[in-house]
Amino acid sequence: MRARNRIAYGFLAPYLLIFAVFWIWPIIYSFYLSFLSTRAVPWTWAPHMNWGRLWIDPAFWNALRNTLVILFIQVPVMIALATLLAVLLNSQLLKARGIMRFAFFAPVVVGEVAYAAVFRLMFNADFGVINKILTGVGLPAVSWFSNPTAAMALIIMAVTWRWVGYNAIIILAGLQSIPDDVYEAATLDKVSKTKQFFFITLPLLRPIILVCVVLSVIGTMQLFAEPFLITNRGGPGGATETLGLFLYRQGFTVLNFGYASAVAYTIAGLAIIISLINFWLGRDPK
Amino acid sequence: MAGVTLKNVVKRFGSVQVIHGASLEVEDGEFVVFVGPSGCGKSTLLRIVAGLEDASEGEIEIDGMLVNDVEPADRGIAMVFQSYALYPHMTVEQNLSFGLRMNGNPREDTNRRVQKAAEILRINELMKRRPKQLSGGQRQRVAIGRAIVREPEVFLFDEPLSNLDAELRVQMRVEIARLHSELGTTMIYVTHDQTEAMTLADKIVVLRDGKIEQVGKPLDLYDDPANQFVAGFMGSPKMNFMEASVKSASNGSATVKLVNQGGAMITLPVSDGPAVGDRVTVGVRPEHFRAAGQGDCDIDLNIDVAEHLGSTSYIYANTKSGEQLIVEREESRSEVGLEKLTASIPAQQAFLFDAQGKRLN
Ligand SMILES: Nc1ncnc2c1ncn2[C@@H]1O[C@H](COP(=O)(O)OP(=O)(O)OP(=O)(O)O)[C@@H](O)[C@H]1O
Ligand SMILES: [Mg+2]
Repeated sequence: MRARNRIAYGFLAPYLLIFAVFWIWPIIYSFYLSFLSTRAVPWTWAPHMNWGRLWIDPAFWNALRNTLVILFIQVPVMIALATLLAVLLNSQLLKARGIMRFAFFAPVVVGEVAYAAVFRLMFNADFGVINKILTGVGLPAVSWFSNPTAAMALIIMAVTWRWVGYNAIIILAGLQSIPDDVYEAATLDKVSKTKQFFFITLPLLRPIILVCVVLSVIGTMQLFAEPFLITNRGGPGGATETLGLFLYRQGFTVLNFGYASAVAYTIAGLAIIISLINFWLGRDPK
Repeated sequence: MAGVTLKNVVKRFGSVQVIHGASLEVEDGEFVVFVGPSGCGKSTLLRIVAGLEDASEGEIEIDGMLVNDVEPADRGIAMVFQSYALYPHMTVEQNLSFGLRMNGNPREDTNRRVQKAAEILRINELMKRRPKQLSGGQRQRVAIGRAIVREPEVFLFDEPLSNLDAELRVQMRVEIARLHSELGTTMIYVTHDQTEAMTLADKIVVLRDGKIEQVGKPLDLYDDPANQFVAGFMGSPKMNFMEASVKSASNGSATVKLVNQGGAMITLPVSDGPAVGDRVTVGVRPEHFRAAGQGDCDIDLNIDVAEHLGSTSYIYANTKSGEQLIVEREESRSEVGLEKLTASIPAQQAFLFDAQGKRLN
């Protein structure tokens, strides 16, 4: 190794050390843990126990089902909204574009606890503003926190609100990379604005939208804060318990780290598989 | 087929006015070239004709119809952009047919038009490729093809060749000339390359700072420029300009002193009489210089650089006071390595301009 490189690695060493201890090692160690029985001290080698339990644990299947339901509703809705929002934020007609862009991006910066508290207040069954509006226009009030379907909808709305602006900003960057003259050429070709959107904008945005979808899939697979904070630890009665919450419960409430590790690996595996399917579905048609 | 008429067109971007009352008549089937230095408003004027920009004032007529409020797509024009503006995600074939398909044109007709355009431009082998997979010249052909399939009344080109290398540019220039003679359609062509302008145009429009300086046939502009700007813009190498002051002026002629040529005097015919003492400029094209003693005024030059091209040579020279001149000479092998030269100005072929650049003879 050349002296220069040695010095460079010297400077990198503190980072690499921390990276190895707090990143690489837990990944390896948790894989090992998933093959141990950790329900009682001392932990013992039991390679089939945790992985076998996954298949038959109704609580795990419940969490998996909830996560996938949220995923398959929330991600498409959010990406569609984000695309629409990006087009609006890119519009020449919009006044104060900078402020608007920041406003829609802002939820990402707001602390999770604060945003959860606001949602809990807004959706409060008795005095929340949402129910006030619903009853105001003659609709029945919704028990957001005790009706399982409503609670699920609440989680989906909250996650969408939080991340739609973030995705819109990414898509906006993609929009701005499409040159104006392509649209001018289409205008001269007598292609309406709507058709321009579907036949030019969307196809050209496809790679960026794909990135947004994959990032959102990964994020939603790990969903934790919203069901923990807004619907009271996956309530009502586990109706909004997600895989992330289930993992937390197994690991840090029950202290069954082996089982929690197996769940963690399952989450990562599913995220990778769904992402790969997305990439495959969204590949460049040849 | 259609002519294009502009009447007192003015264009403002916010408070900045960039076109100052342009009026122009383009005949049916004519090839008109807009030339002028960068930023003079050529593209803007073209985009106003296309309808991509609205005129702030004035009228635009295509085929005798007022089109100020007509949508770009309904004006019967097709435009070729400097950047090609191809649809990046479509194949060449899809690029050509996109507009027709989107408007429900019958499939057979679309195919026929695409096929015809592909043949005219010789891009048959490229039909399945994407723009990314094409060279600059091929992209340009596709861009022109996309204009052809629209079967427009008027073609608009905005510097279509400026992104190509010199050789390809010459080749495409010939192609465009061929296209014009084949289709016979009205074409308006923007360039700042005056060779393109001279070779392609039936009529050249010289623009400066948003004003039309002169309109005319290429050789008329060359032989009879209205002012110093047009004289300097048309022709390559450029016309030489020499500072002078009027020594005496009589009816129909003026004698001026070339202040930077050691006080050489020359008498030129003038129509518009300058006053004695006026600062004027004498213009001589490089090829109009004659051998010593054969013109009306000899000037002594120091040669800086001589370019010997085989048939002609260009002598880049200066005088004692530092004025730069270019002299074109018939090639003579014996002149290689020469350091000094005496050239002579023929009065009949020299131009005279006043201090504002207005032509005096
Ligand atoms: N959208 C716009 N907003 C404001 N000013 C503009 C706009 N488009 C053009 N201009 C200005 O109008 C003037 C003419 O521009 P234009 O693009 O027509 O020049 P051009 O002759 O085509 O130059 P070039 O040879 O460099 O293409 C320039 O001063 C330019 O800065
Ligand atoms: Mg231009």
